[in-house]
Amino acid sequence: MPQLGETVSEGTVTIWHKKPGDAVSPDETLFEVATDKVDTEVPAPTRGVLAEILVQEGETVEVGTRLAVLRVEGEDAAPAGPETAAAAPAAATASVADATLAAAARAAGGAPPLSPAVRRLLAEHGLEAADSSGTGRGGRIKPGDVRDFIAAGGKPTATEPEVEEPAATGEDTELAVRETAPEPEPEPEPEPEPEPEPASVPDRTHTPFNRLRRRTAAHMVRSKATSPHVLQAVEVDFHNVAHARQALGPGWKQAEGFSLTWLPFVARAVCQALADFPKVNASIEGDALVTWRDVHLAIAVDLDFDGLVAPVLRDAQTLSVAGLARAIHHLARRARAEELSPDDFSGGTYTISNSGAFGTLITAPIINQPQVAILSTDGVRKRPVVIEGEDGDTIAIRPIGVLAQSFDHRAIDGAYSAAFLNRLREIIEASDWTKNFD
Amino acid sequence: MAELTYREAVAAGIAQEMARDDRVVFLGEDIAAAGGVFKATVGLLERFGPVRVRDTPISEQAIVGAAMGAAMTGLRPIAEIMFSDFLAVCWDMVANEIAKARYMSDGQIECPLVIRTANGAGSRFGAQHSQSVENWAMAIPGLKVVAPSTPADVKGLLAAAVRDPDPVLFFEHKSLYATKGEVPDGEHVDELGTARVLTRGDDVTIIALAAMVPRALAAAERLKDEAGISATVIDLRSLVPLDTKTILAEVARTGRAVTVEENPRLCGWGAEIASIIAEEGFWNLDGPVLRITTPHIPLPSADHLEDLALPSVGRIFETVRATLD
Repeated sequence: MPQLGETVSEGTVTIWHKKPGDAVSPDETLFEVATDKVDTEVPAPTRGVLAEILVQEGETVEVGTRLAVLRVEGEDAAPAGPETAAAAPAAATASVADATLAAAARAAGGAPPLSPAVRRLLAEHGLEAADSSGTGRGGRIKPGDVRDFIAAGGKPTATEPEVEEPAATGEDTELAVRETAPEPEPEPEPEPEPEPEPASVPDRTHTPFNRLRRRTAAHMVRSKATSPHVLQAVEVDFHNVAHARQALGPGWKQAEGFSLTWLPFVARAVCQALADFPKVNASIEGDALVTWRDVHLAIAVDLDFDGLVAPVLRDAQTLSVAGLARAIHHLARRARAEELSPDDFSGGTYTISNSGAFGTLITAPIINQPQVAILSTDGVRKRPVVIEGEDGDTIAIRPIGVLAQSFDHRAIDGAYSAAFLNRLREIIEASDWTKNFD
Repeated sequence: MAELTYREAVAAGIAQEMARDDRVVFLGEDIAAAGGVFKATVGLLERFGPVRVRDTPISEQAIVGAAMGAAMTGLRPIAEIMFSDFLAVCWDMVANEIAKARYMSDGQIECPLVIRTANGAGSRFGAQHSQSVENWAMAIPGLKVVAPSTPADVKGLLAAAVRDPDPVLFFEHKSLYATKGEVPDGEHVDELGTARVLTRGDDVTIIALAAMVPRALAAAERLKDEAGISATVIDLRSLVPLDTKTILAEVARTGRAVTVEENPRLCGWGAEIASIIAEEGFWNLDGPVLRITTPHIPLPSADHLEDLALPSVGRIFETVRATLD
């Protein structure tokens, strides 16, 4: 099982594209794997023959577990002639049907299943099938067997009984079909209660989690269980950012094809603030804090209300606002188009979760392990605020938004986190964003 | 009775109807002076003259459009589309006009026409000249769909199609044109929408159409000789109307159904029949309904590849043998 991601410890084999005995070419897809974040195809490393599959479809194993044995062959398999090729589709069709039959048999606890025709005949004649044989493949009871049994009047056929059993008279039967017990006299039924009016809409709907939901759920629980979360927030005046968006936005939209949002400005400010407060850009390993030189910024992307993923933008500190805007846009697009690979989720050092589109006030985000902090940006709205001036205080209308950080109190304390947030706010409020754009 | 080839039966059927009814006219590409590219309409121009038997330009839309107009205004046209693949060129008229005229005009406008066309593969004509497209027609409400496998059925069902007040798509099979069979003398009119049970067995019901019928029969012989399996073989002959009564009765007797379809797999006519059996014959089934089809691919031109693609006698034999116990 390959390691498909930094924090991935196990994977599930979902589909084997080959079966034992199949020839395999290099780079031909051999099997598919599902991990915490992403599903991927795994190619064969070399030409050969798949000798043995050790881990079956649906099994989850730890990274490093042996999955299969590939026998490396010298020569290619002989090309199939028309007869064999013609037989192959036939065999494939038949084997799919057989596989279904075998699966049904396993589900039925080993006995070959009863076909609809057999069930009908048994029901029509008040018979039951016991667990043993008919004349079909694997002891399957066929309609002819039931008809023969009925024609024989339900009496035993003229063959020897099993050696172990005592020589009994009319109780052994060749076909294990027995009469159902006659029904006992029914008790007089009590007055049936009037049925309640059926609801036109069910009062509960049961929707099993899909794979992403299950993984997200597990991660969230694990994160809260691991890190003692503390929430801190600042109100930020986005006045200068708004100014830059107004000036540069329309031209940007025309040139790039997508809108310039608040997020790349926040991301740039985050990278700058993290440079001054490195302990926020960190992980805990055992009893030690590991701080990272580079900012690999994970951006939470909502997949149309159908799941949340946080792909990583590497070396975000090297990007300008314009660069971040483009990079974030492409990351989100690839996430929604399911084009991400395990590498896209590994190595994040800090996360920004952007719920602002829906105008919320504040969010207490859950830390993206193994990081120590996560920032939530919420709605930016015009509010009346007090501007302090030398000639006295005035009221102005400013775009105000709350930035809230959850931090891991094992790693840092409230004062440090607060100082970081204060720095972040300073950068956003004081920068000349039209000049510091690209 | 006389022995005719499949192609001779086409001409005989058209001639029979043109002689009977002055309103029957016939048009298509090279059908008159040349007697048809498949030589299926030899002698008709000579017998019925250039007003009633007309060569057209190479335009499927002109052919079908003219036939449609003629049918709507009182004639009984037979139009030929040389290769069934090219029904796609005039499909708007077939699907949107001809098939719906009676319904949308509340019966004021009728289209009693026959479009006959050469269908199917085996002649190495490649992907655009070898398709089996009878399922395209089956999918359009308002059309009748016929696909005969023998000369007698060609003549009898073509006559029935001409006499039918509804539009009929008549799919001849190009690889059957040279085959021979006994055809009744005199006027021969069959019945649309009726299947024929060609041979009866106890173990499996094989349902086939057109060029797959002789292959199914050959496979049934092998199954009997080599595997002790006795098979019922049904020649469907029509897809619309569909003879579900015969299909369900024969499947009830054997408990197993297998279709043999030349069309590519997805939405082939066998899928519809499998669905009908699953719904209306479920409690008679002793095993899954199987479909033997060409894979869902464009057909190859190379001879050995075309032979691999189509359901062969060998493939039919192997599939049925493997699935029965």
